[in-house]
Amino acid sequence: MAAYLQWRRFVFFDKELVKEPQGNDGAAPGAAPASGTAASKFLCLPPGITVCDSGRGSLVFGDMEGQIWFLPRSLQLTGFQAYKLRVTHLYQLKQHNILASVGEDEEGINPLVCPQVKIWNLEKRDGGNPLCTRIFPAIPGTEPTVVSCLTVHENLNFMAIGFTDGSVTLNKGDITRDRHSKTQILHKGNYPVTGLAFRQAGKTTHLFVVTTENVQSYIVSGKDYPRVELDTHGCGLRCSALSDPSQDLQFIVAGDECVYLYQPDERGPCFAFEGHKLIAHWFRGYLVIVCRDRKVSPKSEFTSRDSQSSDKQILNIYDLCNKFIAYSAVFEDVVDVLAEWGSLYVLTRDGRVHALQEKDTQTKLEMLFKKNLFEMAINLAKSQHLDSDGLAQIFMQYGDHLYSKGNHDGAVQQYIRTIGKLEPSYVIRKFLDAQRIHNLTAYLQTLHRQSLANADHTTLLLNCYTKLKDSSKLEEFIKTKSESEVHFDVETAIKVLRQAGYYSHALYLAENHAHHEWYLKIQLEDIKNYQEALQYIGKLPFEQAESNMKRYGKILMHHIPEQTTQLLKGLCTDYRPSLEGRGDREAPGCRANSEEFIPIFANNPRELKAFLEHMSEVQPDSPQGIYDTLLELRLQNWAHEKDPQVKEKLHAEAISLLKSGRFCNVFDKALVLCQMHDFQDGVLYLYEQGKLFQQIMHYHMQHEQYRQVIAVCERHGEQEPSLWEQALSYFARKEEDCKEYVAAVLKHIENKNLMPPLLVVQTLAHNSTATLSVIRDYLVQKLQKQSQQIAQDELRVRRYREETTRIRQEIQELKASPKIFQKTKCSICNSALELPSVHFLCGHSFHQHCFESYSESDADCPTCLPENRKVMDMIRAQEQKRDLHDQFQHQLKCSNDSFSVIADYFGRGVFNKLTLLTDPPTARLTTSLEAGLQRDLLMHSRRGT
Amino acid sequence: MTYAYLFKYIIIGDTGVGKSCLLLQFTDKRFQPVHDLTIGVEFGARMVNIDGKQIKLQIWDTAGQESFRSITRSYYRGAAGALLVYDITRRETFNHLTSWLEDARQHSSSNMVIMLIGNKSDLESRRDVKREEGEAFAREHGLIFMETSAKTACNVEEAFINTAKEIYRKIQQGLFDVHNEANGIKIGPQQCISTSVGPSASQRNSRDVGSNSGCC
Repeated sequence: MAAYLQWRRFVFFDKELVKEPQGNDGAAPGAAPASGTAASKFLCLPPGITVCDSGRGSLVFGDMEGQIWFLPRSLQLTGFQAYKLRVTHLYQLKQHNILASVGEDEEGINPLVCPQVKIWNLEKRDGGNPLCTRIFPAIPGTEPTVVSCLTVHENLNFMAIGFTDGSVTLNKGDITRDRHSKTQILHKGNYPVTGLAFRQAGKTTHLFVVTTENVQSYIVSGKDYPRVELDTHGCGLRCSALSDPSQDLQFIVAGDECVYLYQPDERGPCFAFEGHKLIAHWFRGYLVIVCRDRKVSPKSEFTSRDSQSSDKQILNIYDLCNKFIAYSAVFEDVVDVLAEWGSLYVLTRDGRVHALQEKDTQTKLEMLFKKNLFEMAINLAKSQHLDSDGLAQIFMQYGDHLYSKGNHDGAVQQYIRTIGKLEPSYVIRKFLDAQRIHNLTAYLQTLHRQSLANADHTTLLLNCYTKLKDSSKLEEFIKTKSESEVHFDVETAIKVLRQAGYYSHALYLAENHAHHEWYLKIQLEDIKNYQEALQYIGKLPFEQAESNMKRYGKILMHHIPEQTTQLLKGLCTDYRPSLEGRGDREAPGCRANSEEFIPIFANNPRELKAFLEHMSEVQPDSPQGIYDTLLELRLQNWAHEKDPQVKEKLHAEAISLLKSGRFCNVFDKALVLCQMHDFQDGVLYLYEQGKLFQQIMHYHMQHEQYRQVIAVCERHGEQEPSLWEQALSYFARKEEDCKEYVAAVLKHIENKNLMPPLLVVQTLAHNSTATLSVIRDYLVQKLQKQSQQIAQDELRVRRYREETTRIRQEIQELKASPKIFQKTKCSICNSALELPSVHFLCGHSFHQHCFESYSESDADCPTCLPENRKVMDMIRAQEQKRDLHDQFQHQLKCSNDSFSVIADYFGRGVFNKLTLLTDPPTARLTTSLEAGLQRDLLMHSRRGT
Repeated sequence: MTYAYLFKYIIIGDTGVGKSCLLLQFTDKRFQPVHDLTIGVEFGARMVNIDGKQIKLQIWDTAGQESFRSITRSYYRGAAGALLVYDITRRETFNHLTSWLEDARQHSSSNMVIMLIGNKSDLESRRDVKREEGEAFAREHGLIFMETSAKTACNVEEAFINTAKEIYRKIQQGLFDVHNEANGIKIGPQQCISTSVGPSASQRNSRDVGSNSGCC
């Protein structure tokens, strides 16, 4: 089996004979003239072409006549006489407009003509011809030999010439000038040199030398030109080439057995292309090989035409990267193969030029698609640097193809490669079928890995996993991704997993991505693993722990009350997330408002109590709600407790709580609580605290605790005398016998004179049972006291009357009878009275000088003046005060004995002016007014007493 | 990329046993179900890390067909390791091992590390050669044995790396002359030569001149 048959063949090149340009002038230039002109002839090169090369936009030929011809794109052939005899070698530099040639100028004395090297500068003209910048003999020594090959480095610093005697000369330095260049023999071998090539890699320049029997490389950029023997095979003339960077600039040697590629220091791959090679050429990533058509393949279309195939040659274009034959054709007598203007030109002996035009990538791909060679198309597209869109397109077509053939596994592989370009829904729809779920999974997985998945994809993938019951894959998907970044929407994933019942996975996700709400929701609502959930909460930072506790506290409390309480205690006092290794953190923990957690304990009074007690102990400044609730709890317990001993204890607890002074501000609340639970001591304590003595008394009254009533009265009677009164009326109203208490109350009332006797009697009169005996003592005493008082008052009245009479007499005397001044001593200096003296009616006499020095006014007796003035002031003050009604009102209100106040004012003449009004209507008005006032006063006085 | 050593490998074995696929899996981490026949010799390279040393593996994948034997033979020279591959689903590939081994021993240096590989271990249902047989053959001829699957990538990495480890061990023991490139071992460009293999100073100098002369 011929080796090349192993590779697929394609026709990626269009073959065409190059035609003569239309007319010699005026025609549009073009390599391939319009095909419409049937008359146009094929381009025919001058005969006797010996060598050719290409570059700088022209094909260059040398012929037997010493002419060098240029064929530019316009196909206008031009030529000039370069040598007198013939041109043997040409080398057109690709980056410079420099042409190197070897040819013979004259027949020397030597039987062998001495070849001359000429360097032409094609840019400069010398009389119409290119300028020849340098001429030198090719053969360095005197020994006659024949030039076999020629190569020039593109940097113009190296030129190598190989000879048939096996030697190679290296011309170093600027090759365009004689001056700077130096020629030396690089290599001396036994076999004819057949190929030379410079290879530039970085700063190193290698020269490959191939002879008929071996291959070697030299490093020409260094000293001493170290040599590496690469192989012991060689090749014929023109059967070597240097590949481009796509093949790593390897040196290609096309031997008869196979084609070897060489690195400068070692042998590279080899390709077993059989056949006697004639030409090897590198063209844009293709290896072009022309070989003698020894074994004509029966398949070849050209065989039938000519059975004598001696001159038939096969041209194969290999794509070494993608391993196929891009073109294969049979030619007759190929002179050379040239690459220029982006095409390949095959020169045949008959002077014709065949152009091989490469098809464009799209055409090539279509050809491959037609043959369903997608893999190859992909490789081709890659090596042609097709953009990713184009590649994706191929992958998609490939995928479609495989899919239509039922190879779903393969198809999905291709679709996966389109990720990022092709709309995922296109693929997903194809595989959205229970049987294809594996493929779909694979696709979605990759989609996620490339972070191109959206929430729907995640859902779908997870659904796939769950449908497949592939929990290990699921786990892998979830766990491997989470380490670095997540390729999917975690929330969706959690939702899906949760729906599918993969709680543990959902949990894992939630935990790793700090979706605390989800974690707890799953843990509590689905798995019902309360312990775990609680622990998890304990690990959360404060805010989250708090909010979650509020949300889930009730459930947790319901199931694991103790631990929950423990956590809450922590949360409300000094919370620190329970993470390992963070315990030593000194930062003060946060604390939650414990009040907010109380509702959690709704069904767990015992825990609530523990919690509250803890709170109130640990944290004295807990919110009021804590104490309220605690009190309520204690009261509740107390109320429901049957065992007297325990009850006692609870009682003490409640009291101590009440006494802790926490309820000053919420007195009412505490009171209501105590009342609700019928907690007497508490209620009383609170009343006392609130100074609600009446309430205390009422309380006792309601409970008919007479002694207590009395006690309360005694205790608080000082602060609130009306207690007594109430006690009295209470006792009075009591039907049963309580004389004792009534007596006690009465006694007190009497002592303190709290009630007028009439009222006492009135009050007691309500009582149908109270007998006179109860009140007798009181009345007797009262009457006695009053009669004493009356007697006293009468006595006083008499005394005042007598005094008044006396004063009246005195006034009468002063008015009517003469006054005899018989004082002998001065009332001031107490010495004997001498004239001049001053006498007053009051009976005081003074020396005049004493009087003058003492007295303030002439009219007043200095001795009596202070006394008189006092009286005068009093009178004036009374008169003034009389009109200050506000003060009067005030006094009236404040006074215990309003009656005396009114009497006092009456005495001061408050009503004097009113009595002066004598007008009948006004008088009536005043009387009514007076009556109103009196009633008012009476009310005041009653209230006061 | 710098490397401490470069090891040259060769993969040999009958046609169709999966040599190219092993290489593709190792270098590109992918599997190609349809693979063109290898024409001549192909080549792949990858860096591996052995004992903290970066080692470049240069792997020559040969054509298994009888007609290419003459070409592939010339590649034995200068290989430090060989992977001798057979197909566990085809007994004849196992039977040909002896001749491959003979070929390898004849054309390579005596120190070459040969690893025997039974490929296609994923096709357990179609197994034709027992694992024990492979082990026995390896024991008999002093080879390392491993069953791999280029399709599932099972043991592929290990096969190449274990071979590299064995070669490295031999270097440490001084069995290889690391300066003779015919052994298939090259010291990396900027690498100091390890202590266990003590080359003479002159040797090193001459080598350095050889490799660095381009820079001057």
